[in-house]
Amino acid sequence: MTTMTDAPASTEVRRGRLRLSGVRKVLGGKEVVSAVDLETEPGEFLTLLGPSGCGKTTTLNMIAGHLAADGGLIEVDGRDITTVPPHRRSMGMVFQSYALFPHLTIADNVAFGLRMRKVGAAERRRRVADMLELVGLDGMAGRHPRQLSGGQQQRAALARALVIQPDLLLLDEPFSNLDAQLRVRLRDEVAALQRRIGTTAILVTHDQEEALAVSDRIAVMAGGVIHQLDRPQEIYLRPATDFVAQFIGEVNALDGTALGGGACEIAGRTVAATPAGEPPAKGAAVRVYVRPEVVRVGHDGDGLRGTVRETRFLGSRIRCVVATPAGEVTAALPYDAAVPQEGEEVTCTWRPSDASLAARA
Amino acid sequence: MTRLTRLLGAAFATLVGLFLIAPVAVTVASSLTATSYVTFPPQGLTLRWYGEVLAKPEFLSSFALSAGVALAAAALSAVVGLAGGLAIHRHRFPGRAALEAVLSSAFAVPTIVLGIGLLQWFAQMGLASSPFTLLLAHLVLTVPYAVRLVLAGLSGLDRSAEKAAAGLGAPPFLVFWHVTLPAVRGALIGGAFFAFITSFDDLTVALFVVTTDLQTLPVRIFNYMQYDYDPTVTAIGTLMVLFAVIAVVVIERFVGVAKLFGADTQERS
Amino acid sequence: MAAVGRLAGGARLSRPRWRTGLLLALPAIVIFAALFVAPLFTLVANSFRTQTGAFTLGNYARFLGDPFYRDVLWNTLKVAALTTAGCLLVGYPFALYMRARSPRVRNRLALLLLSPLLISMVIRAYGWLVVLGPNGPVASAFQALGLTPPQLLYNDTAVLIGMVHVMLAYMVLPLMGSLDRIDPTLVPAAKGLGASGWTCFWRITLPLSAPGMLAGAMIVFSLTASSFVTPAILGGPKVKLMPYFVYTQATTTLDWPYAAAIGFVLVVVTTGLLLGYSRLLRRGNGEVVFG
Repeated sequence: MTTMTDAPASTEVRRGRLRLSGVRKVLGGKEVVSAVDLETEPGEFLTLLGPSGCGKTTTLNMIAGHLAADGGLIEVDGRDITTVPPHRRSMGMVFQSYALFPHLTIADNVAFGLRMRKVGAAERRRRVADMLELVGLDGMAGRHPRQLSGGQQQRAALARALVIQPDLLLLDEPFSNLDAQLRVRLRDEVAALQRRIGTTAILVTHDQEEALAVSDRIAVMAGGVIHQLDRPQEIYLRPATDFVAQFIGEVNALDGTALGGGACEIAGRTVAATPAGEPPAKGAAVRVYVRPEVVRVGHDGDGLRGTVRETRFLGSRIRCVVATPAGEVTAALPYDAAVPQEGEEVTCTWRPSDASLAARA
Repeated sequence: MTRLTRLLGAAFATLVGLFLIAPVAVTVASSLTATSYVTFPPQGLTLRWYGEVLAKPEFLSSFALSAGVALAAAALSAVVGLAGGLAIHRHRFPGRAALEAVLSSAFAVPTIVLGIGLLQWFAQMGLASSPFTLLLAHLVLTVPYAVRLVLAGLSGLDRSAEKAAAGLGAPPFLVFWHVTLPAVRGALIGGAFFAFITSFDDLTVALFVVTTDLQTLPVRIFNYMQYDYDPTVTAIGTLMVLFAVIAVVVIERFVGVAKLFGADTQERS
Repeated sequence: MAAVGRLAGGARLSRPRWRTGLLLALPAIVIFAALFVAPLFTLVANSFRTQTGAFTLGNYARFLGDPFYRDVLWNTLKVAALTTAGCLLVGYPFALYMRARSPRVRNRLALLLLSPLLISMVIRAYGWLVVLGPNGPVASAFQALGLTPPQLLYNDTAVLIGMVHVMLAYMVLPLMGSLDRIDPTLVPAAKGLGASGWTCFWRITLPLSAPGMLAGAMIVFSLTASSFVTPAILGGPKVKLMPYFVYTQATTTLDWPYAAAIGFVLVVVTTGLLLGYSRLLRRGNGEVVFG
């Protein structure tokens, strides 16, 4: 099977700038999306990441037009589409259930959007064939959806969404019905294909690893608002809120008092981190977020002092837990690090640029 | 399972099978008898009784009446069932719960009671019996099944498929035509055929709604049986069985007969 | 069409206006209001009237007071109970047999069971008339053995045979549902604990299939009590059953109020049973096979 990445590069003009301003949605008397602002670059891969019920799928459905916004503005390339019905928007959407039409062949599924656009038969056939080849489904054209594996159905759904050359590619948890291995392979293929074609993509997922792996930027959502919208590295290393820090990966959250700038005092020691947003005023209660991967355990430098409580070899990393006056600090050390003994007195340090600092509520 | 129990099981199942097909098989076989009375096994072999049926104009007119009413009942139940099923499945409207309750209680009210109720109600309204009143009465018997099948079809439809179609540029009517309708196509065809045979075979309601000059085929046969015991009835019966077999094949192909009666014969996992 | 109209109307998907729903449901509502609810109300109202239209409880008093009609009611319940027992006796082993077959064979067997329901009731009953009649195969079999054939027609036995034939599916299908829900590892587990095949059946399979038996029994009982065509043809006037008297009172005696009263008693007997059953279902979680 040809993989999606073998596809020829597209010469598509870059378009697909999506803008949401103050978009709101009330469902069943509850505000599930509150004043969401968002703007994509053309060709960007943007992910809405959050737990179920955070409003990400509702937001996507408003972008697609399946739900009406109760407030705010949705624009694509400067055109206001807030009240445009879905069939007059140009969005290619891939659903969690794939939503292939069960009574149509794969070719007819892919051709559906072209038929609706009254594309001539010859061109339609050509574009369908090209697209099926692009997603590695050539030879499956005559089959029905139920005769395909989950991964193949996913590719067919992607082909159906892309063949209409949409303004935006909307992906609603598209990989969550696949098994773990296939999920990783397909998401990488989709990301590669998206970059090649250059269509702006909006992915909705609750899987933080998936979001980190494929996105140009991630909008972390909870309770109907965007907590942080930034590049994956920023989101990971410098979470802006407690929610972002806790939702993505493992984090050391250390409470202290601001000393101005990025400096703060934790349990009598002075440490530094990068403030998320405006640096908190001197004396304010702050919290420092440090990922285990960036923590170094040694005997020099300014950092938190403590006693090694346990070390565990985990294969890819060595996990080291240090009991400090500010609480336990977990470090994930590389395999060749000098591993401290349990009971040893150590100092935990990190580069200020690898940790973030935010006001504590 | 031992050999003996397996053998006993097979023998028992065969007996039940024989019991189930006995009346139909005997009817079909004895329609070929050369005797002027009904007997099984048939003696001699003749198609004479089929000729007798065709020579009796009252049977032919009854057949025409029954078939006409049944065709109309089939078409109307499909339409009414589709609309009603869509309404119940997708909309909230005043009277929805009441409609659902009435539709499901329609399965439980004895047909004979419905028949006598219709007789008295039509009389009170001054409605003379006509093929039209009969058709309306039959819709009460068939629409609940049609709605049930449509609901089953709709619940098997992934709503995302409709969203997908809309997103691909299909306006509402085309979404309905290309996605929703195919999902209930089997239900509509199966429901229509079932409505046809229900209406075509109905005796109980028809007995109350028809008059002496307006007799459906089952009523005609029922009355004929009271006085005559010649094999004409077996010949008509065979023809009606043929109708039913066609309907069963179609229903089984599109929805499954078991689903019609609300049961699922497939093994659950 | 209008239904989906909303889907793509963008916004309106989440807030369907009730008007479209009502419009779609209107044909069904009109039909059932005019031809189901209204006739049944008329029937109930008429059952409390004299022939001249005055209010009376006399029709019910007459039905319950007359030993003849009490006998009719009793006989109706008896025939229904016997049919239920017959269906259970034939249906339970058949359901067990079906359960052990492949899905394909099961489907065929279900079709076989349901086929009597799809054949014209008149013709089906007529077929039994031939089978059980003086020139039929049963009589010939007796004669071949040198025995006098028993009277098989126009009595309770004939009605019973005809009814079991129609009702068998209504017993077997819910039974199958129940049997299928039994965890297939229970019987091997019991055998591992030393139970014999019979013990397994009595202690595990039978009690766990009770909901299906109950469902089947309710349905068969109430449908039998209210069926008219098969008893009328196979039993005739000699087999005293309520539906037959509803019919004769309405068409021969022309005593409509009395026919209405008998009909209403019939509804109470049968529907009451089914309603009680569905209430039972809502508490447990069986499946409604009928209605």
